[in-house]
Amino acid sequence: MKRCLALAAVIVATALLPSLLDPRGYWIRVLTFTLLFAAMAQAWNIVGGLANQTSLGHAAFFGIGAYTSTVLLLKFGVSPWLGMLAGGALGGLAAFIIAIPTMRLQGHYFALATLAFGEVMRVIANVWTSLTGGPGGLSVPFVPPSFAAYSFKLLRPHAYIALAALVVVTAIFEIIRRGAMGYRLRAIKQNPAAAEVIGVDTTRVKLQAAVISGALIAMLGTLYAQVAVFFDPDTVFGIASISIRIALIAIIGGVGTAAGPILGAFFIIPLEEVMNDLLSSRAAGLSQLVFGIILIAVILWRPRGFITVFDSWRARRSRTVAS
Amino acid sequence: MSFLQAILDGLLIGGVYAVISIGLTLVYGVMGIVNFAQAEFLTIGMFVAWFAWAFLGLDPVLAAPLSFAVAFAIGWVVQGQLIARVLTAPSVAQIFLTVGILIVIENGSLLLFGSQFRSVTTSYQTVSLSLGPLFISIPYLIAFAMSLVCGAALWWFMRASWFGRAMRATAQNPSAAKLMGVDTELMYKMAFALGVGLTAFGGAVILPYVTVFPGVGGQFVVLMFTVVVLGGLGSVAGAVVGGLAVGVIQALSSLFFPIQLQNLVLFIVFILVLAVRPQGLVGASR
Amino acid sequence: MAGAALAHGGVMTILEVRSLSRRFGGLQALSEVTFAVDQGEIVGVIGPNGAGKTTLFSTLVGLIRPDAGTVRLDGKDLAGLKPHTVAGLGMTKTFQNVALFAESSVLDNVLTAGLLRHGVDAARSAALGCLDRVGLRAVAHKQAGNLSFPERARVELARALCTAPKVLLLDEVMAALNRAEMGEIMQLIRSLREDGVTLLVVEHHMRAIMNICDRILVLNFGRLLADGTPGQVARDPKVIEAYLGRSVEARQ
Repeated sequence: MKRCLALAAVIVATALLPSLLDPRGYWIRVLTFTLLFAAMAQAWNIVGGLANQTSLGHAAFFGIGAYTSTVLLLKFGVSPWLGMLAGGALGGLAAFIIAIPTMRLQGHYFALATLAFGEVMRVIANVWTSLTGGPGGLSVPFVPPSFAAYSFKLLRPHAYIALAALVVVTAIFEIIRRGAMGYRLRAIKQNPAAAEVIGVDTTRVKLQAAVISGALIAMLGTLYAQVAVFFDPDTVFGIASISIRIALIAIIGGVGTAAGPILGAFFIIPLEEVMNDLLSSRAAGLSQLVFGIILIAVILWRPRGFITVFDSWRARRSRTVAS
Repeated sequence: MSFLQAILDGLLIGGVYAVISIGLTLVYGVMGIVNFAQAEFLTIGMFVAWFAWAFLGLDPVLAAPLSFAVAFAIGWVVQGQLIARVLTAPSVAQIFLTVGILIVIENGSLLLFGSQFRSVTTSYQTVSLSLGPLFISIPYLIAFAMSLVCGAALWWFMRASWFGRAMRATAQNPSAAKLMGVDTELMYKMAFALGVGLTAFGGAVILPYVTVFPGVGGQFVVLMFTVVVLGGLGSVAGAVVGGLAVGVIQALSSLFFPIQLQNLVLFIVFILVLAVRPQGLVGASR
Repeated sequence: MAGAALAHGGVMTILEVRSLSRRFGGLQALSEVTFAVDQGEIVGVIGPNGAGKTTLFSTLVGLIRPDAGTVRLDGKDLAGLKPHTVAGLGMTKTFQNVALFAESSVLDNVLTAGLLRHGVDAARSAALGCLDRVGLRAVAHKQAGNLSFPERARVELARALCTAPKVLLLDEVMAALNRAEMGEIMQLIRSLREDGVTLLVVEHHMRAIMNICDRILVLNFGRLLADGTPGQVARDPKVIEAYLGRSVEARQ
């Protein structure tokens, strides 16, 4: 209960932030991307946390979303909002297609297979130049500002949309976790044979989790496209830039909990920005290097993420309260 | 005719792919973890060999043992200090630790050496022998020969030496091995260091025909994983079979597709094997 | 004929097994096993270790695919169906070494089974009811992995019950129980029969089996040796030989 209140407080505070920050400034941009990546990590959390399958290929769906809405806008003038829905549908479909052959794989094998899928999409995007613009990437065309066209003069609306997206994805995560699907996923995680015998359709439940997760991330791809305005295959289908990063955010924050991806994003994204600022100007690769070192350090210190730190604080506090 | 030539080239290159990938399968077989950073040691091996060529005038093939030694040392420390600590952690932690190591090595190389492409020139680079209507490229042949030597040495090591047998015992049953007096921690260090050393050795050997830059390892990642998955994660013999198979698949696909799509063919093979026969052609499931 | 339940003398045949066979490598685990169970019967399944009893149960619920033979539940052919479908049709089993979701609470374990027929809230009440039935309501919120082995076996029984089965396969549910606890379980089994559940029970406690079962199936080396009332089976020379070995006959 306390964690829910803390989370609600954080969300309310964050809801006020966009209004407080300079709408043209640097920090509101950082906030927008932080919220966006938190939402992406939360969507990943559905498969990585609840279904306990470490996917390293979620960039595949993210890129599908970004490209679908942008291509529809460029070629047919379709509003990005509709494009987002189309992207979501395609992302869900892709997740379904990927989930079927990887269904039986565990742990490291599953990570490898999903990694390969992400790369397949990246290669296709690089090669199918007529559709995707190839390695040169795509620019979201300028359109007179209006909500219907998902075009704004300032960054503040983008931040609010990202915030709304985070709230929605987190709500979906919690609904799944607390509902019948959550029970079934936990059963499958702990003993798949027993789960089957008592009536859990393990294949269907895992597919559902995969499709929901894929569709959500694809829709977030549209958000990214509209904010970033330009992207290329290496950015939106990238292993390091997307797949690993969102899994990492969820893991460091605490995988399998609603708060985890949010905590993780608010720690990692601003940290990355600061490091890029301070260090990248000095030498290429230095900020990433430092980041890699931090990652190793966190894994060694707390293999399950920051949530375990909070758990032990809470445990210590409740013990003293009880005595 | 080009078909046969492709198969020949594929086999020659495939031998090297086997050597490069054996380390990955060895680590998985002994410790049960997939080292996502394995390809980075290829980069290390190539850089060591390049600098040996640039500053000492050593032919890359002669520098290969040096690459092995450097990677072995680094691997020994990495295993002991980092990987050993997550052997009992959930797989997600293991995956991300090796991913972190990948990031550190790749960006470390970028910082130390800069992003420019480097290559070597050797006297035999463009020479080929003719075997009837077919050509055998000398760099490929030498690489293949070195791989054979390496493979034979490894085979002797695993079968005949005490270390090798202790490692295989640790792979099959760590607690039983411990009871028999095997220092399993030492075995893990040995397996990891040996594994990355072999990958680095392979890197040096391919330097005559591959350009080195900090991201070169990344280009071989999927290839390496396809080799070991095809052969069976954990099976050294499988890595050999997988290496040759991947070499041939790659060579044949170069006849029909541009280079980008060649990679796609490999990916698809990789995914198919994982989906249809995860234990690979040779390996037994763990 | 196909699809209709067989009725004879007013009693329905609820489970029909014909020529069920399954091989694992060099071992013939099940060999042409054929029997039928009427609705409301309590049928014991006994046999030496390795006789194929657990394999039989796993094949009936669909965890293992048979090489040959058919299984019909209430007239419906179960060929190729996955265990969750079989559970939906009304047949489930407990696991010999107990397969609980150790990190979840006792209640959550049983609740998950209830989701087969209800939404979450109704499943929760059904689960509490099932826990009451096995006498474990008090530990509903404990972590399942922390209970003693007999308690965990009872949770597993409650969980299987929560799927509202027509046919319940119990695999050594009385192992490691003391006399009093066994009596309780036997009482429970009888009360389940009164509610219309058909039970197949694998057990090693001979007295218990002879006591509550209407009929006994004897398996040995994957083959059905005998199929009859407890009295018939106890006197069957083939059964005696299987348990005690050739020495008995040799001595006679």
